[in-house]
Parts: sequence; C-alpha cells; structure tokens
Amino acid sequence: MGNEAEKPNIITSSLDFLVNWGRSNSLWPFPYGTACCAIEFMSTEVGRYDLSRIGSEYVRFTPRQSDVLLVAGTITYKQAPILKRIYEQMAEPRWVIAMGACASSGGFYDCYCTVPGIDHIIPVDVYIGGCPPRPEAFFDAMFDLQKKVKDESFMKQRAESVKEQLEMIKVKTAEAKCEAKTAIHDKVVDIKDFMKEKEQNFVKKAQFWKE
Amino acid sequence: MTVEEIFAVLEERYGATREKQDKWGVTAVVSASYLHNAVQFLKEESGIKFDMLVDIVGIDYLTYPNHEGPRFAVAYAFKSMKNPGARIRLKVLVSEENLNVPTITDFYANANWYEREVFDQFGIVFKGHPDLRRLLNHVEFVGHPLRKDYPAQKRQWLSTNDYLLPQLEQRLEELGYKVVQRSKEVETNDNEFLEGSIKE
Repeated sequence: MGNEAEKPNIITSSLDFLVNWGRSNSLWPFPYGTACCAIEFMSTEVGRYDLSRIGSEYVRFTPRQSDVLLVAGTITYKQAPILKRIYEQMAEPRWVIAMGACASSGGFYDCYCTVPGIDHIIPVDVYIGGCPPRPEAFFDAMFDLQKKVKDESFMKQRAESVKEQLEMIKVKTAEAKCEAKTAIHDKVVDIKDFMKEKEQNFVKKAQFWKE
Repeated sequence: MTVEEIFAVLEERYGATREKQDKWGVTAVVSASYLHNAVQFLKEESGIKFDMLVDIVGIDYLTYPNHEGPRFAVAYAFKSMKNPGARIRLKVLVSEENLNVPTITDFYANANWYEREVFDQFGIVFKGHPDLRRLLNHVEFVGHPLRKDYPAQKRQWLSTNDYLLPQLEQRLEELGYKVVQRSKEVETNDNEFLEGSIKE
C-alpha cells in the first residue's frame, strides 16, 4: 500500500493541483512589521497596488489564521524569542518572507543588538532586497512564493507525515511495552518477597508451637 | 545671577573646576561627593533656576587620545525654563575601581530612566536609585555594550522575552488590586529563567 501511495497517479496529481491552486491563491499574510518595511507593506496592501488582487485578501493579526509570516523590519536579539514563538504558533502549511535588507541579513546594523538575518532563527522561503523594497518587489516575491507553493506535492507530504506518525506510534508502543514489562517484573519480585516473608513467619510460628 | 557667577559659586563652595576643552565653556567638573549638593544649589538656590534636566550621558575615555585621569565620566546637562538659553553642564569623573555616583532622582523625576540607561550601557552604579535595573538591554544580557572594551560585534542569544510582569503586578498592587491567581505560563522558575543566556 505504501509504495502505491507514494507514486503520483492521476488522482493524486489532480488533487495536488487543486490543493495548490487553492493554497497559492489565498496566501494570507501575518505582518510582523517592526520598521520602515512595514510602511511599504501598507502601501502594497491598500488601494494603489492592492495585494488582494492575487488572493492575499486579508491581513491576519493572529498566527493561527495566517499562511505567510511576513517579517518586515529589523529584528533585535530582544525580539528574537517572540518571533520564534509566533512562527511556532502558526499552523502548517506555513511560509516565511524576509522583507528588506534588515530581515534578510541584518542590513547596516552590524552591532551587538541586531540579529544578522532572521534565517538564524526560522527557515525563510523568499528574501526581498531593498531598503525598503518597493511594492513591485513585494509582488514579485509573492509570485515567487506562489510558484513555490504550486511545486509542492500535498499528497507526498501527507504520505510522509503519515509515515512519521506510524513510526512514532511504533516507537511509543515499544516504549510502553518495555515500561509495562519492567513494572510487571517489579511487581512479581515484590510478590515473591512478600510470599517468602510469609513463609518464614509460618515456619517461625510452627517452630514456636512445637516448642 | 548670571552663569558666570554661578560658576564662581560652584568653584568656591563645591570645589568645581571649569573644563577648558569645552567649546562653549559651560562645563564644570565636580567630585562625586559634592554632586548632590551642587545639583540642589543649581535647582533651588541659584537665581537662574535650572529646573530642567536635559540629559545624563555616560562617557568612556578608554580609547580617547591624550586623556589622563579616570576612565569613566557622567555628564549632566541642565537647562533653565525661567531664563531661556541658560545652560550648564556638570561632569563627574568616575574611576574603574569605584563606580558609585549619587543619584539625583530626588530632584528630577526623569533622572530615573536616564540613570538606568547609563547603568545599563556603562555599568555605573547610582547610589540611592529607587529601581536600578537595565533599561534597554535584556535582563539576561552580560556586560555593558557601550564600554569601549566590549567587542561591538559580540552577539548574545537570549532564551526568553523580557519578563516585565513583576513590575506590572507591583504597579497594580499600588493601585489597590490584588493577585489572586497566576497561570502556569506566567510562573517562572528563577533558575530556568536565567539558564542558557549565551550560546557560544
């Protein structure tokens, strides 16, 4: 069964196409804006450039409902744990865009307090150059991301995750069995000791009554 | 009372010396023991009342060319609102062995955060400060980054975000609230909290 599911066939590939079409045309961003790149993102989002043309309809301010983490601005070391936590809170599938020089490489802040690129903390899918990048550059990055999303195979990922889960279940059952065995062994030893003590008591009592 | 007269009084009463290198000639160097009295004089007794504290600055003279004397200095900039344009600057030299300077938070409320910042970046200890904690850097940060011997590109990974809840609770308690229950996420273990601040 496993081998058949891994190979692409007409059902899985068309399902892949459908899923990727849906995903790539509804990439909802989570704006993690800390500096001037966030201002540029605002102009991308509203009227003149209108990001909702390509399906990024809503800007979601909660990691639970968004697909793309958009890091726009300088990330300091004090902020790094917060960014990492937000990334971990996002539901899969998730993608990350590093917008601007600061988020990609630290920019010109070469000092004790600035993270030299957010790829030290979280994996990044698309980098955008510029300080800050123009809205056109941001659109280009979104198209790149859409291409990337369309290349992914939903069924393959699913098969892999099922495999991982099966392996995890196997390992966990083995651990549980081991634990149960040791627990039973301990109990048996305890009961044996208990019986021995009782026997000795009986023997002592018998000797006492004989005397 | 003009600024010149104030300088004369400072020199006479508090043993201040006027710094010659200053371009505008408004800097007086005071010893740390006389600082508190000198500030009191400037704010309350002198004719021009210097009722505004503009800034407190820490200075590290480690790599300064042709410098003799103590390594650190703290400079206070005062301004008069009553007599616009009147400015004066006090400077306290601080040696590396004795980093103590008296606080002036009892005269100027905004000195609180200025002194916290100087403590954070230079490690100068302000005696009598009500709440001397780091202001800009993280609680797990080791060292004082604006000292000249701190390697400028040394990076420190921090394990948690800054934990400000105790201060919030304290402030709420002052307003009459009471802590009934804390959630598990909020309760931190002190040892766990301070572990692993630097990953080499």
